[in-house]
Amino acid sequence: MSTTTQSDYLLLFRGNVWDRGLSPAQLQKVVSDWMAWFERLKAEGKCAGGHPLEEAGKLVSGKQRTVADGPFAESKEAIGGYFYLTAVDENEAIEIAKQCPGLEFGSVVEVRPVADICSVKQRAEEYSERELAGARA
Amino acid sequence: MLLFRGPHWDKGLSTSELQQAMNEMMAWFRGLNERNKIKGAQPLAGRGRVISGTDGQFVVDGPFAESKEAVGGYLILQADSLGEAVEIARAMPTLRYGISVEVRPILAECPIFQRHPELVRQVNDRAAEQLWVAAAA
Repeated sequence: MSTTTQSDYLLLFRGNVWDRGLSPAQLQKVVSDWMAWFERLKAEGKCAGGHPLEEAGKLVSGKQRTVADGPFAESKEAIGGYFYLTAVDENEAIEIAKQCPGLEFGSVVEVRPVADICSVKQRAEEYSERELAGARA
Repeated sequence: MLLFRGPHWDKGLSTSELQQAMNEMMAWFRGLNERNKIKGAQPLAGRGRVISGTDGQFVVDGPFAESKEAVGGYLILQADSLGEAVEIARAMPTLRYGISVEVRPILAECPIFQRHPELVRQVNDRAAEQLWVAAAA
């Protein structure tokens, strides 16, 4: 995995049914506003990219490696897409998230710092160090 | 896009089990990388914020890091089909420890356009109009 600065954030857009019931004019406005927001963030160098996700998907889990149709449709929790923010601190990432045009209609934005190192790998290294320290003592 | 859910799968594993799991994960990852299947991948830090409300006025800590649903990281695959992406996800070594993998196709355009095809022309017209105004200014 590539290393990143601490200042990268992932915005996860949750909820994929918020557009239901909007008038054509409302829909047109929110979609235009969203695209303009994305283009502005890219032009300002604050967004490295982003994509919507298809609603259909699969969920793989368990020792048996079961494949199920994802419970993504019609959900307030489902992730509908993401932006990758660059070179911002947490406050700026939150301020950017607050500008999301979908919020007005019930969309929710999760703001997550991108980590330098996987938290499990970090814990694994800490355990090893503790064991080594224990062995030396 | 693969979304890894349940970032605390390592709880209760011994140091050697954890070490082995990490080695298997790295081998899986390296194998995909050698086949040029990876376009991007990052772990996410456990802490984050969730923004909601019509003006983004609600900012709460989240998601719950302990949750089995929480997203702990992602991997963007270059796969030929959803089937291939699912097979890659099924080969992930840490599935047996309770992590689950959501497999979601990445779209070039928002699914709202698919549900409302009439929007495409309207939004393009509006974007052209804005460009025209910007050029004239």
